[in-house]
Amino acid sequence: MILDLHSHSVASDDGRAKVENYCQWIQRKQVGIDGFVLTEHRQFDDANDYRALEDQFGLLILKASEVETEYGHVLVFGVNDDLRAAFDFAKIDNPLATVLEAAERAGAVAVPCHPGRPKVGMCAHWETRGPVDGVRIIETLNGGSREGENEQAEAMAERYGWNTIGGSDSHIVSHIGRCATRFDDEIRDIDGLVTALQGDRFEAVVPETAS
Amino acid sequence: MNAAELKTQFTGYVFDEIELDIEPESLVGFATACGETQSRFTDPTDPDFQGVPNYLTRIHGSRAMPADFPVEMHRCFDAGKSVQFHAPVRPGDKIQGRSEIADIFEKSGRSGSMLFIVHRMNFYNQAGVHLATVDWRLVQRELD
Repeated sequence: MILDLHSHSVASDDGRAKVENYCQWIQRKQVGIDGFVLTEHRQFDDANDYRALEDQFGLLILKASEVETEYGHVLVFGVNDDLRAAFDFAKIDNPLATVLEAAERAGAVAVPCHPGRPKVGMCAHWETRGPVDGVRIIETLNGGSREGENEQAEAMAERYGWNTIGGSDSHIVSHIGRCATRFDDEIRDIDGLVTALQGDRFEAVVPETAS
Repeated sequence: MNAAELKTQFTGYVFDEIELDIEPESLVGFATACGETQSRFTDPTDPDFQGVPNYLTRIHGSRAMPADFPVEMHRCFDAGKSVQFHAPVRPGDKIQGRSEIADIFEKSGRSGSMLFIVHRMNFYNQAGVHLATVDWRLVQRELD
């Protein structure tokens, strides 16, 4: 099963894609993913329910968040009340250690994303601020990366033995599914995704697109 | 003052109101500049003549920010406008525009941290009909 674990809809301040349009694009272009996760910036999207779109298009549509820390941006999967009480999703300088610990305690999974990106990626901060305990997975395939950024993340994952995921980081319709994560097991809901990420039967991939 | 404090202090109230009369020439001029060719937007004799849906984005209030707003406008740059269309503008309308700060938030990107200010104008006609909501985003790099 292949899921794009990093995408933004119009619910994010800089997102220009409606979720329905993502679904139409995936269907029309036969993008090789089985679903995607909406990771809205600095918030969890409580307002929208995409179950009707899931049924209409036969896709899995899950919700997570992209929060910001002093080490860069971090995806959090399995957002719940405990996690939201642990730190302020709207802040841009949450301590990475707090986010990682809080996610662990709340039964969620935190994944530093686009680590090779300047300012908002973990790699450079790791060098200047020092290592942080608790990193287990990083995003090594990000669809918005510039040359060398994903390679830097991949080298870091290899060096530390971390697992890797991929996500398009799409903000516009045509970018959905540029990068994704292949899971050995079937995932049906957010709990299933969290369980899968707590294991190690997944890898970052570039999906195939028919047209 | 950080973004949360700015948001608490400066959002949720109208800080400026303007009134303006809508002339047909203005509607035609804006529509033409947008490349519009439909007669209901370009011909004042059309029975359904009206402004193009984004017409009110051209209107500014008498001031951009509340009087005591601590962000220096000359350090900001335009991050775009969006318009939510509610009802058409007609020639002869007397429009009221009310300005407020709808949101203030921070984000971090490749170039560092940024402060976003969402300036909102709601427009109403002489009958009190809500015509449009125009959000104008301003961004300032590296909040002091």
